[in-house]
Amino acid sequence: MTPWSVLRDGTRLIKRFVGMHPGAFSLAVLGAALYAGAIIASSWVIGWSTDEVIIPVLDRGEDPDLLGMAAAAVLGVAAVKGGAIILRRTSAAYMTGSTRRDLRNELLAHMLTLRMSWFNRQAIGDLLAVADADTDQGTGVLGPLPYATGVSLLLVGTIALISTIDIWLGVGAVVGLLTAIVIDVRGSWITFGMWEEVQKGRGKVASIAHESFDGALTVKALGRENFVSNKFGVASDELRDRIITVNSTWTKYQVIIRALPQFLIIVLLIVGAVRISADVVTPGDIVTVAYLLTLLAFPIQLIGFVLWDLAGALAGWRRVESVLDATDYMDWGEDSASSKTDPAPVTGKTVGFAYDDEAVLEDLNLNLGAGTTLAVVGPTASGKSTLGLLLARLWDPDDGTIHLEGRDLRRFARSELPKEVSYVSQNAFLFDGTVRQNVTLDSEFSETEVQRALRLAGADRFVSELPDGLDTQLGERGTTLSGGQRQRLALARALIRKPRLMILDDATSAVDPSVEAEILKALKSAELPSTIVVVAYRPSSIRLADEVVYVDSKRILAHGKHDDLLESEPGYARLVKAYEDEAARLRDAS
Amino acid sequence: MKRSVTTGALIRRALVEAPSLTVGLRLTLGMAMAGQAITVITPILIQILIDSEILDEGAVDIGNVFFLGVMAVLALSVGVVVGRISLLRLVNTSSTGLSDLRTKTFGHIMDQSVLHVQSERRGNLLSRVTSDITTLQEFMEWGGVGMIIAGSQVVLATTVMMFYEWRLALIAIVGVLLYLLMMRWFQRILSRNYDAVRVEVGRSLGVLSESITAVPVVRAYGVEDSTKEKVGEALERRFRVEFKTFRFGNILYSTAEIFAGLLTAVLIVAGVLIGVEVGTTAGTLIAFLFLTNLLIEPMQILVETLEFAQSAASGLRRVVEVLDDEIDVVEADNPESLRPGGLSAAFDHVHYCYPDGPEVLTDINVDIPVGSRVAVVGETGSGKTTFAKLLVRLMDPSEGVVRIGGVNATQISFEDLRSRTAFVPQEGFLFDDTVANNVRYGRIEADDAEVWTAFHELGLGEWVQGLPKGMDTMVGERGGNLSAGERQLVALVRSWIGTPDLLVLDEATSAVDPALDVALRHAIDKLTEGRTSVTIAHRLSTAEGADEVLVFDQGRLVERGHHRDLVEAGGVYSSLYSDWTAGTKSV
Repeated sequence: MTPWSVLRDGTRLIKRFVGMHPGAFSLAVLGAALYAGAIIASSWVIGWSTDEVIIPVLDRGEDPDLLGMAAAAVLGVAAVKGGAIILRRTSAAYMTGSTRRDLRNELLAHMLTLRMSWFNRQAIGDLLAVADADTDQGTGVLGPLPYATGVSLLLVGTIALISTIDIWLGVGAVVGLLTAIVIDVRGSWITFGMWEEVQKGRGKVASIAHESFDGALTVKALGRENFVSNKFGVASDELRDRIITVNSTWTKYQVIIRALPQFLIIVLLIVGAVRISADVVTPGDIVTVAYLLTLLAFPIQLIGFVLWDLAGALAGWRRVESVLDATDYMDWGEDSASSKTDPAPVTGKTVGFAYDDEAVLEDLNLNLGAGTTLAVVGPTASGKSTLGLLLARLWDPDDGTIHLEGRDLRRFARSELPKEVSYVSQNAFLFDGTVRQNVTLDSEFSETEVQRALRLAGADRFVSELPDGLDTQLGERGTTLSGGQRQRLALARALIRKPRLMILDDATSAVDPSVEAEILKALKSAELPSTIVVVAYRPSSIRLADEVVYVDSKRILAHGKHDDLLESEPGYARLVKAYEDEAARLRDAS
Repeated sequence: MKRSVTTGALIRRALVEAPSLTVGLRLTLGMAMAGQAITVITPILIQILIDSEILDEGAVDIGNVFFLGVMAVLALSVGVVVGRISLLRLVNTSSTGLSDLRTKTFGHIMDQSVLHVQSERRGNLLSRVTSDITTLQEFMEWGGVGMIIAGSQVVLATTVMMFYEWRLALIAIVGVLLYLLMMRWFQRILSRNYDAVRVEVGRSLGVLSESITAVPVVRAYGVEDSTKEKVGEALERRFRVEFKTFRFGNILYSTAEIFAGLLTAVLIVAGVLIGVEVGTTAGTLIAFLFLTNLLIEPMQILVETLEFAQSAASGLRRVVEVLDDEIDVVEADNPESLRPGGLSAAFDHVHYCYPDGPEVLTDINVDIPVGSRVAVVGETGSGKTTFAKLLVRLMDPSEGVVRIGGVNATQISFEDLRSRTAFVPQEGFLFDDTVANNVRYGRIEADDAEVWTAFHELGLGEWVQGLPKGMDTMVGERGGNLSAGERQLVALVRSWIGTPDLLVLDEATSAVDPALDVALRHAIDKLTEGRTSVTIAHRLSTAEGADEVLVFDQGRLVERGHHRDLVEAGGVYSSLYSDWTAGTKSV
């Protein structure tokens, strides 16, 4: 970012935000204007009191007739100032808060319209940061914005007031204030790139720490604590040097900016004293001028910060925008789900899918009869899981089509396909709620249905042992449960919906083998109203399937009965019988 | 107990860790104060000009006025230079000191086993070396400077006031003190309100981040609308609470302006009424009005930075707490080295329980002779992984002794411990670097040829050649460009290249397919011939080929022996094994 681009893009950003809440913004600016007016008025009141009360009474010994009026004026102006602050800050807070709320709602709503392929390219941590810190940062300019407007008005008002008092004082004020602003803006302009370096340095320090802590077990097991500590130390010292560099420049400007109003006051006092002697101005006038400049000294320091605020807001906003501008929309059709409750057949025609331009599946054809249980088997990274995701339309194929009972998956309207298809992945995600809520997802299901689903998923026993049974709060991400228990609840979540097609992607990988065997037996004998697709390694799961597809090198190499494939496909046999063969070999050896 | 530590003690503690923070601090503070003297130049100049030139009988002495002006500008310039130097010094010391503190804290955290034992604390520990230190840094740069400037301004302004007219000065001081009390009171009310805001902020972010993380589930179950509704409600509640608090806070803050106006009005009235009696000059009273302004603003800054200081102090407290946490696995004072050759291992009445947790291992006694291949089996939660971590001293037992090569593990030098033993965890964690550089974490000086040989020895040469850029392929953040199984392969080679004499694998191949798993097993067995290997096995095929099988159940070593004998014995192992064979039987 260059300072120019910051100004240009920042203006655009501000316009967008103002457009979202024009009323609140107008009120905030009105408050800022009142505030500027009150400050100018307070200086004028002090000057007036000098001429009409202080000097007549203390210097010339007159009676303090106007003393009450002076006190009342000071108080009155202070009251207006107070009211103006409330108006400005409250409107700005309303604007900031509601913009943030709206943006967050918009972010989630937008993400829910995008394809999973987009979602998979993002790091979850980044998306969370966008919805949290980046949204705050991006809208961070909304607080200072009305204040900055107020300061600008104050500057204009100051110059106007001083000019009406005396044109020479006015010229002095214009020159002085402009100089201050130029130096101020120049300071932040010059240090701008340096600050970005500091931010980058912070990011590097954080990412080294993050990585080292996440991989702590590995680092310690390899005895590389010193190695990563040194790496961290180097990054930390680099950050230190950058901070020092930027500050040595920045402090130079900072002290000048702080001293400039003082300098200006001294000059104007000298000029003023000369003008008084020429009887052009009164002592009260130069008191007004000096007082006003004193009050201006602090706000003027903040002008340079506007550039920072803008730059910070833009950096956050860019990340928010990159999400909001994503156009990988999921295209939904118009069709509703069928109300049938029997298993549905599935067909895939010439299906192809690539991930990051690397083909994962090519020319895949699949014909699966209603009520069949199909096992998808293949070596590491062969595209098995992708097939499961495509069947549930979490991803769309790049080529070819997939039909559920003759209907193209893409013709279903939003939220309709899940009424017929359930998908369970290896990563069982649980919500922060009760066991029941996690199974029903807040849909209407009877107690018996919940119990039955839990029993089928082999989850009834451990759930009944939880402190509040079905109504036990699981806590964030279900961290109180073991991996196998979480997977069983996720399985129950699918089973309770009696889907016409159910896809299980290694959905019981964390369940102990003996428990898994029981679950599979129960599923087999329950005669579910579902066509089932199981992605698995374990021969136990495979044997329960009616049919098997063997996937390798991006294609279905074979589709048929398990026993037949064992005969005809040596690769399949090697994969499935690896452990069995190993056991036999060991028996022979001994 | 740590709660009672005062801020002073915290600072002293931090200074012990990062002594560079104090270098030349007194001089810096003195200079900062001197630099601040520029603010009282104006009121004094106004008083002199009004009393001795403007209101003085006779014409204004232009020459004298200019002389005063030049003097004032000179004083101002000196103040600017001194102020700049003090700021620079402050930034230098604070940056250097905090960088030292950060590096020290990081090193201390890396030495804790808590990192891998309680993974949920990682996020908190991360903020110790990032946001907490940044808060301190920002406080030193902005808040600290603000406090010094504000503090010196108050001292200077009141001194000048006392010098001019002590009665009016007393009024101003009492007024400012009242004001200070009022602001403190507001701050307290406000921070109570902010607690409620924080709760709602946390809640809404929790709901929001849960929904974002759950997008695949939301999509799979078609619950988009209810998810949006849930998030919308939480955000609306947060907005209401925030707005209410801010509105209230703004009203409180605005009263400060009214109070400042009141003080000014009182000073004008009192100055005029008393002034006639005691002979206060007009210039003096006007100077007072300026000096009062110099008091009000620093008060606002002081009160606001006090909040800042509090958050910096609690950041410092958290950092110091981490530094005070005793390191649980420390190197012995006079460490012993291991004899060259194969390594045996032994557990002697070993117990382990997590701090404030249940016992996860009970009375483990086992001897693992040099060169044996041992498999450890048991259900989830039976204590297998704890056993493995104790074996290579990633943790120390709560009771009992672990021996490696006949030496008490707590007495072995870290250098020997880590170079002679290797532990391969299940997660297959990779650093954001190339495949080859990840392997080099196992032996930093290894050249490309050696890395390549290591892949080849484990039969993974073909696999690594198949990667887009071979060994120079970037693995991405946490190895995200590779599949879980592939990450495990790299992790395995990484440990292998260190040529350990005791190799401990904790389900290190759980995510690779069966055929590759068996092939890797053969390669490892061949290579570890004569060395000791312990494998935590998820797949019992490993156990079948092992010299000895250790069977864990609920934290106890319940069976041990050769696979054949254990199957015949009909205990825990035989039932695990029959599950396994039933599961792997292809026909």
